[in-house]
Amino acid sequence: MESRRAVVLGLSAVAVSTAIATSAWAAKDPLKIGVPTALTGTYAPLGEEVKRVVEFAANEANAAGGVDGRKVEVRFLDTEAKPELARQQAEKLALDGYRILTGTIASSEALAIAPMLNRWNALFVATINKADDITGKQCQPRVFRVNHPDYSDGATVQPWLATRSESKWAIVAADYAWGRNSGESFKKAAAASGKTVVSENYPALGSNDYAAHIQKVIDSGAQGMWVALAGRDAITFARQARQFGLFDKVTTGGVSFTTDGTVKVLGDVVQGIHTIINYSSTLDTPGNTKFVADFAKAHPGDVPTNFQGETYVGMQVIFQAVKKAGSVAPADVANAMSGSTFETILGTQVMRKEDNQLVGPNYFGTVEAVNGRLQPVVKMTVPAKDATPGPDGSCKL
Amino acid sequence: MIQIINGLVYGSFLYVLAVGLVLIFGLRRVTNFAHGGFFMLGAYVSYAAAAWLGFWAGMAASVVVLAFLGVLLDRFVFRPLAREEPIVTLLVTFGLLFVLEDAVRTIWGKDFISVDAPAALAGSVVIFGSQYPVYRLFVIAVAVAVAAALAVWLRSSRIGLYVRASSVDPVTTAMQGVDTDRLSALVVAIGTGLAGLSGTIAGPLMALSPSMGAYIIIDCFIVVVTGGLTSFVGAFVAALVIGQFHNLGLAYVPEVASVIPLLIMGLVLGLRPQGIAGHGK
Repeated sequence: MESRRAVVLGLSAVAVSTAIATSAWAAKDPLKIGVPTALTGTYAPLGEEVKRVVEFAANEANAAGGVDGRKVEVRFLDTEAKPELARQQAEKLALDGYRILTGTIASSEALAIAPMLNRWNALFVATINKADDITGKQCQPRVFRVNHPDYSDGATVQPWLATRSESKWAIVAADYAWGRNSGESFKKAAAASGKTVVSENYPALGSNDYAAHIQKVIDSGAQGMWVALAGRDAITFARQARQFGLFDKVTTGGVSFTTDGTVKVLGDVVQGIHTIINYSSTLDTPGNTKFVADFAKAHPGDVPTNFQGETYVGMQVIFQAVKKAGSVAPADVANAMSGSTFETILGTQVMRKEDNQLVGPNYFGTVEAVNGRLQPVVKMTVPAKDATPGPDGSCKL
Repeated sequence: MIQIINGLVYGSFLYVLAVGLVLIFGLRRVTNFAHGGFFMLGAYVSYAAAAWLGFWAGMAASVVVLAFLGVLLDRFVFRPLAREEPIVTLLVTFGLLFVLEDAVRTIWGKDFISVDAPAALAGSVVIFGSQYPVYRLFVIAVAVAVAAALAVWLRSSRIGLYVRASSVDPVTTAMQGVDTDRLSALVVAIGTGLAGLSGTIAGPLMALSPSMGAYIIIDCFIVVVTGGLTSFVGAFVAALVIGQFHNLGLAYVPEVASVIPLLIMGLVLGLRPQGIAGHGK
């Protein structure tokens, strides 16, 4: 009898709370988040990573009663990482009411979307895009970035470079905004550390054969190599470079090259490669520990990747800004975001009002085996004030 | 000198893929847009079979499975649509490409896959003072073997004679009593089998992904058009020339490297509209 009463009470409580939640959600506009991301093409697995963590964050928020009493709704559209398609898909999302946009992979996509945001009455939060211009020369009041720009990676690689004895370096980077920026940032860091860049290579996105570039690096006499390739390009390049014995000839470091995702695919091929680590599931903060544990519950056997950690921070920033604004209108959310402080899985971070860049620490490490599993392991933490240098004045908001 | 060998490797790889298209176009006068899809499927079939049986058995499995699919393609797509406008078949093969991509995505997932070269080809040799991967030399050897086998088959067998005749003029060949439907099934099977072979040799060179066919098929079409659409010799020459200039472009004029294959095609077609060794029809 007791148990029957308990069941009835329990079910009633669920029904009442659901009704309250539903009526509360019905009373307020939902928070609609549009995710134009690469679901096919060179960066498809990265887009898939983004999709999974955005869904995770939305489900988590809804299970806790929503954000500011609003239901979180997400919609994904495929951009193939192509700027023109990204602009079209973002417009479609915005016109359908998904005006808070996030989750593009390539910087060129973010730069294609940014100038259109006022016209669409939308807002964009970059979580993966690294080109300096996004919060630099081409900054916009409606564009925010939570991940590290290229100049932050440059500032992070500099202390590592200073410890290296190799004096001649080569660059292999993707031939678009991000890769070019990364190459420039590395050159500055190299110059500041007294190193010389002797070979610069910018292969096209989606290249099939890197032999010409690999041979050029070998012929240049470089002792070290900096790689800024991601997704399919990273895997194809690493596979071919290993066949040529390039990783045995030169000390190799990179950014977005040996990520959690690519290391899982390539295994031993990239063991020992040094890397910028923008986020790691192993970072020991209370917020991150909880995120990693909850994510593993939702996706058994999985830990969040670097891109998922960064995108989750983006979702946290959006949620907190909506709560602060008490509105989902992009103008209100933008006002609430600019200059505000956010509690993220990596600690308390400020969205700098001068250029809408979130200021956080950055990390550097090496691909090593941990408990028999290869992954990028953090060896050095660069504090926020050094890792995210102050705005250079190029952004006029 | 090493850069010349690199160009030879890329050209060889393009040839093995492109010659399958040439065979199919020669018999059916169909631009098979699904060829990149068959190449991709070949890479996955080989990867899956190799996990159980090793690289060489994986290669054989890929060629056999893809050849079988080629027979089905000819029987259920090309033959029923033979009397339709060429654009209909072209659009159907284009749709087939998406079907193949989605099928692979469903079976193997969206994540990239990386494949090791077989142990016997995993090392390197010293050429002109530089360490060079044995696997890349193997790619050249495969192309030479395919070219030689095709040449012998086309030149010295009765079926080869029919294939050559059909490539020049399929209507007259049929009027002479050649059963072009049976011939076509065989030729399409060989064409898709070669796509399976090229997918297999691509495995240790590039990341496997459902859209990998899209990254290579444009270069492949450029080779076929430059070579003269139905010419096996033309495709061989075009693949080697385009592979060479493409690679030298990447090494010495990277800013314009991506348009070099198109420039070569434009130049050849400007001088010889029928392509390097086309029949001028």
